[in-house]
Amino acid sequence: MPLTTVHEAKTQRLEILDPEGRVDAALEPKAPKEKLLELYKKMTEIRVFDERALKLQRQGRLGTYPQIIGQEATQIVPACCLEPKDWLVPTYRGQGAYFARGMQLRYSLLYWGGDDRGVKFPAENNDLIFAIPVGSHMTQAAGLAWAEKLKKTNAVALCWLGDGASSKGDFHEALTFAGVHKLPLIMLIENNQWAISLPRAQQCAAETLAQKAWGYGAHGIQVDGNDPLAVYRAVSEAVARGRKGEGPSVVECLTYRMGHHTTADDASRYRTAAEVDGWKAKDPLARYTKYLKAKGLLDDAAIAATLKDAEAMVADEVKAYEAFPKPSPLDMFANNYDKAPWMLVEQRAELAEVLKEKASRNEIAEVPPAEGRFP
Amino acid sequence: MAQKNLLQGINDGLRQAMEKDPKVLVLGEDVGLNGGVFRVTEGLQKAFGAERVVDTPLAELGIVGASVGLSLAGMRPVCEIQFDGFLPAVMDQVICHMGRMRNRSQGRNSLPMVLRAPHGGLIHAPEHHSESPEAYFTHTPGIKVVIPSTPEDAKGLIIAAINDPDPVVYFEPKRLYRTVKGEVPDAYYETPIGKARIARAGTDLTLISWGAMVHTCLKAAEELETDGVSVEILDLRTLTPLDWDAISASVEKTGRALIAHEAPNTGSWAAEISALIHERLHYKLKGPVQRVGAWDIRQPLFQLEKYYIPDAHRVVRGVKKALNRQPV
Ligand SMILES: Cc1ncc(C[n+]2csc(CCOP(=O)(O)OP(=O)(O)O)c2C)c(N)n1
Ligand SMILES: [Mg+2]
Repeated sequence: MPLTTVHEAKTQRLEILDPEGRVDAALEPKAPKEKLLELYKKMTEIRVFDERALKLQRQGRLGTYPQIIGQEATQIVPACCLEPKDWLVPTYRGQGAYFARGMQLRYSLLYWGGDDRGVKFPAENNDLIFAIPVGSHMTQAAGLAWAEKLKKTNAVALCWLGDGASSKGDFHEALTFAGVHKLPLIMLIENNQWAISLPRAQQCAAETLAQKAWGYGAHGIQVDGNDPLAVYRAVSEAVARGRKGEGPSVVECLTYRMGHHTTADDASRYRTAAEVDGWKAKDPLARYTKYLKAKGLLDDAAIAATLKDAEAMVADEVKAYEAFPKPSPLDMFANNYDKAPWMLVEQRAELAEVLKEKASRNEIAEVPPAEGRFP
Repeated sequence: MAQKNLLQGINDGLRQAMEKDPKVLVLGEDVGLNGGVFRVTEGLQKAFGAERVVDTPLAELGIVGASVGLSLAGMRPVCEIQFDGFLPAVMDQVICHMGRMRNRSQGRNSLPMVLRAPHGGLIHAPEHHSESPEAYFTHTPGIKVVIPSTPEDAKGLIIAAINDPDPVVYFEPKRLYRTVKGEVPDAYYETPIGKARIARAGTDLTLISWGAMVHTCLKAAEELETDGVSVEILDLRTLTPLDWDAISASVEKTGRALIAHEAPNTGSWAAEISALIHERLHYKLKGPVQRVGAWDIRQPLFQLEKYYIPDAHRVVRGVKKALNRQPV
């Protein structure tokens, strides 16, 4: 018997805007003007925020912070392709996604400022708090999509993950479930080329991460993740497939982590400035601005006004963050169970007594690495 | 001998073990080029090459499972899990394989591997970066669990762990990495596994602890001394197998014990030690054994962490309770 080909797949890359902002008209999504401008505004706002948050951390006014600079398109655009009923399942590098869905930035600051109150989603949204253990949210996203399918709500689940997270067993298990049950799940890989110090090439020997999709009966596509239009188109199509009952999709977005892994990291230890500079030329916001200008939707005055408004909004958010009253130590006993069991009642009372006696004498050791705090 | 911090002690030990035995390899996320996120493995890849100091993909269960395989086939892997909070994902390999291979294979196979992970809190870190999960491991038969509190022991214990024929979990109290300094011998040496250390001699009560909490206990002991109370501090160094001889010798002498640690008390390793003392030394005790641990709740984000992990004052309070005195 001759060998026969039983499976063949081809993985495509979608690019619509080139780095100069020139558009491939055949692929240009037909989004209304308001939508296009909304994306621009939010990308600008989150960039301003990100730069401000970095400064706050450097000034000791914020804890470890994971920057998203350079990933504005993959943060903002996918979130704007959803309806509130859809599940938003971001990672810890997800301030942009939450913001795009309406969470005030003060809460992101609170969280990274070490305050458990730093989570407050708009009531009508299906937003999930992110997981710090990388990738542990992916099978949960499959479960969310599954529930929506069972409830026949026509809602989808959009799960962000990094190139690093795609190596976790959870990725395999999430897509296995999603494929078998034809779940409305979108796995959006923000391939920013690095997982802390590990480059993409050492993360996985496959040529693309998108092609993993085919192994699970999912649809896979690679996208220029610094091209807001390509991200918009690919995610919208994946959402539509989900709503039509056509099963899960993998959207691999090629982007770049312009900053350190977090404020605790020093990326110069493992990557070259030349590499970073190369990606500067592909900046998603600059490219999108050129496109909107060429389209006649933006002019210099509008650009300046958007930036000014963004700065004022971010300043207000920082003010609101710093005006939050300090959390009470006794608060940590709330929300551990539906009803606090006896030992928590006793322990809370004990802490109240301790606090009356003396302020905590625990000292925080700002351990290592010299350049910052933590990954 | 040179003054070194705890992190340098570990680095020294790893380096000498790698020089001695070409089968020793270090693997984990960011351990190579970046030298580990805390720089514990700094310089090792440069010295021994990328085949022996391996930056792995982001897959904890893979790191530990592969280490099981590597050690089964004759290598001596020292794998790192970047933070204590990411250990839960590896328990399948730890419980179902690491701790059982020798027994399941009727003694034919052993797993001379080491699993390193940072331990404990109070370093201003994000969620899941400050946990004390030792009880999940001490509860698991077939593995040994160690944790140093001095630079000298950090070096001796990592060497002993690498040389041990059984799998060893090596916890690194991360807030001591750079804050504790001490003499570290230049020679290659082992700190014996299964042997505790008297960190301070005393007569009224035995304070049993491990890791960073040993230093909190030392502070508490100074305070207690001004109050006329003399405590003996036992730094366990090895959690399993416990140095029962050291515990019983001290508790028989003092008649009282308190166990101080960073994990929640319920189901903790402190609970096991307390049970052992009560079972075996009941008639020597002048009062019930006390425990001072974290509260039985999820560890809060860092703003409240200092109220969650016991400080010296809570240890002092616990000691006074054990001595039937009013808390201060
Ligand atoms: C299970 C787990 N392992 C390790 C870490 C430490 N860590 C945090 S982020 C990260 C790299 C993640 O890379 P990637 O998935 O590409 O996402 P990115 O940070 O680039 O957005 C690592 C190793 C973690 N948080 N969780
Ligand atoms: Mg990445």
